[in-house]
Amino acid sequence: MNDELLKLGSHTFGSRLILGTGKFSDTETMIRAVEASGTELVTVALRRFNRDKPNDDLCAPLAKLSAVRLMPNTSGAINAKEAVRAAQLGRELSGSPFVKVEIHPNPHHLMPDPVETYFAAKELAADGFLVLPYIPADPVLAKKLEDVGCAAVMPLGAAIGSGGGLSTLEMIKLIIRDSNIPVIVDAGLRAPSEAACAMEMGCAAVLVNSAIAAAQDPVAMAEAFALGVQTGFEARQAGLMLQSEFAVATSPLTSFLS
Amino acid sequence: MKTTLPEWIDPAPWLAREYRVVDVEHAIGTESPDESTLAALLSPAAAEFLEPMAARAQAITRRHFGQTIQLYIPLYLSSYCSNGCAYCGFASDRHTDRHTLPFDAVEKELDSIKTMGFEEILLLTGERSSRADIDYLRTCVRLAADRFHTVAIEVFPMEQDEYHMLAEAGCVSVTMYQETYDPEPYDRMHRWGPKKDFFNRLDAPARALAGGLRFAGLGALLGLADPYHDMIALYRHTRHLQKTYWQAGVSLSFPRIRHEAGGFTAPHPVDEKMLAQIIFAFRICLPDVPLTLSTREGAPFRDGIAGIGINKMSIASRTTVGGYSGNAPEEGQFDINDGRSLETFQAMLHGKNLEPVFKNWEKLYRLTA
Repeated sequence: MNDELLKLGSHTFGSRLILGTGKFSDTETMIRAVEASGTELVTVALRRFNRDKPNDDLCAPLAKLSAVRLMPNTSGAINAKEAVRAAQLGRELSGSPFVKVEIHPNPHHLMPDPVETYFAAKELAADGFLVLPYIPADPVLAKKLEDVGCAAVMPLGAAIGSGGGLSTLEMIKLIIRDSNIPVIVDAGLRAPSEAACAMEMGCAAVLVNSAIAAAQDPVAMAEAFALGVQTGFEARQAGLMLQSEFAVATSPLTSFLS
Repeated sequence: MKTTLPEWIDPAPWLAREYRVVDVEHAIGTESPDESTLAALLSPAAAEFLEPMAARAQAITRRHFGQTIQLYIPLYLSSYCSNGCAYCGFASDRHTDRHTLPFDAVEKELDSIKTMGFEEILLLTGERSSRADIDYLRTCVRLAADRFHTVAIEVFPMEQDEYHMLAEAGCVSVTMYQETYDPEPYDRMHRWGPKKDFFNRLDAPARALAGGLRFAGLGALLGLADPYHDMIALYRHTRHLQKTYWQAGVSLSFPRIRHEAGGFTAPHPVDEKMLAQIIFAFRICLPDVPLTLSTREGAPFRDGIAGIGINKMSIASRTTVGGYSGNAPEEGQFDINDGRSLETFQAMLHGKNLEPVFKNWEKLYRLTA
């Protein structure tokens, strides 16, 4: 076993940074950011596939990158039925076994629907997909999704596009503690330091979009996130010093016991 | 006739307050905006804060919508109308040539638009008539849904079951401007016709969402009445729909009366600075709500505000019936002030580091896909 690699199903990845592809100012910037990030897995919304108009299509330019695998996502779907249909069309169009199940019935806050996500993930996993569900940071839901055969779980750090960082930190720690599949923080990250923090906690990878696409220099920020992820991962491997909230007294309080 | 607004939308409590510089400064920076925030940002005191408001609006727009501008295009199906809207080029007392596109002409128009590359189309008619009724509209929606991922309508108010029929035909979005949220000028401006019924119109977006449409576009026609009143009511209408129909997507437009056919003069003119102030205020108060701007506005204003609050725009629009495949009459519903081609507009967006997005929804997600 090689601990350096991220494993999703039978697939391995050298990079532990996954990129989202919406929100970029143009396709060229997106491609350059993807390349600078060193990512080997990118997610593309089916709603942004456009075979009728090549310059409005996010899928084809990414499919040309030999180092990168595509993971269609079902953003736009509001229930399990729609997500399943979207996943099937995404697989047909991209040829990828991966799907990011993303079901947010409220188009404003974009919070994932735990109930519909569970049913869609269950059906798609049974159908042979490598399912990576985008979920609220809920430790019970995470285990249930593991039980139905998901390849990973992707709890949110904060709302999509919010830059809220790891506001669900305590819940993510619980998810990691009990999970037998990779835990990937998806959404909310703003700074590479937060990506490092997620990796130090034991996340298997992080997924970033807005923080890179909406940065002043998306390409440089993509590279910075790659470094942040790598730093956090190496720190985790190195074993962090134990944290103690008590200073060790020079004259021990329990000296009377001897 | 009932002339008072129900409590859930009445802006009166916020209009009664005075807002000072300190209120504006607080409103620009707040993380939990509400009616008071909007009222402060719309107040005269905020007019001196346009630059910081723009900076905050731009940062929020970037965070939620990225470096993108969604594009759509309107298609006028019929200019017959029985309403007497004092400000409209298609009002029933205007002496203009009236047309309703027959279905073969609709297909021709749709094909011309599709060739341009659009994936979101907005179908428009005047008031319900024997020439443009629900059956006509349903057929047009079907023809559009055969070609475009996103089909929206901006037509007459309907009943819930009628909206459901259109959702089944492939429509996903309704635009329904209240024109003004103040019942008294509303009654004066809408001189006759079914549109005189203020409350029937006010409740139409809710009926559409209950009927199975997913997106509702709201707005008030700036210039008709006191913009403070109308914009706070618009905010309250938006929040009400969001709370009642929690799966609905609400978007807002900011149409402004310029020089309409018939020589109508706006009693409460809104200048460009005020319009910008309104857009910035809404972006700050509703960070994740799409804000739309049409070609009613001129190129310099549109170019300036793209990405600074506005994240969705129309372009290459014709407001005449049959305007895309030739032989259209000269007089449209309103004057277009940005007549640039799609190509020119896209080049402008790219120059501002903004990506035009044509397809942002998937027909697979329709009610009966």
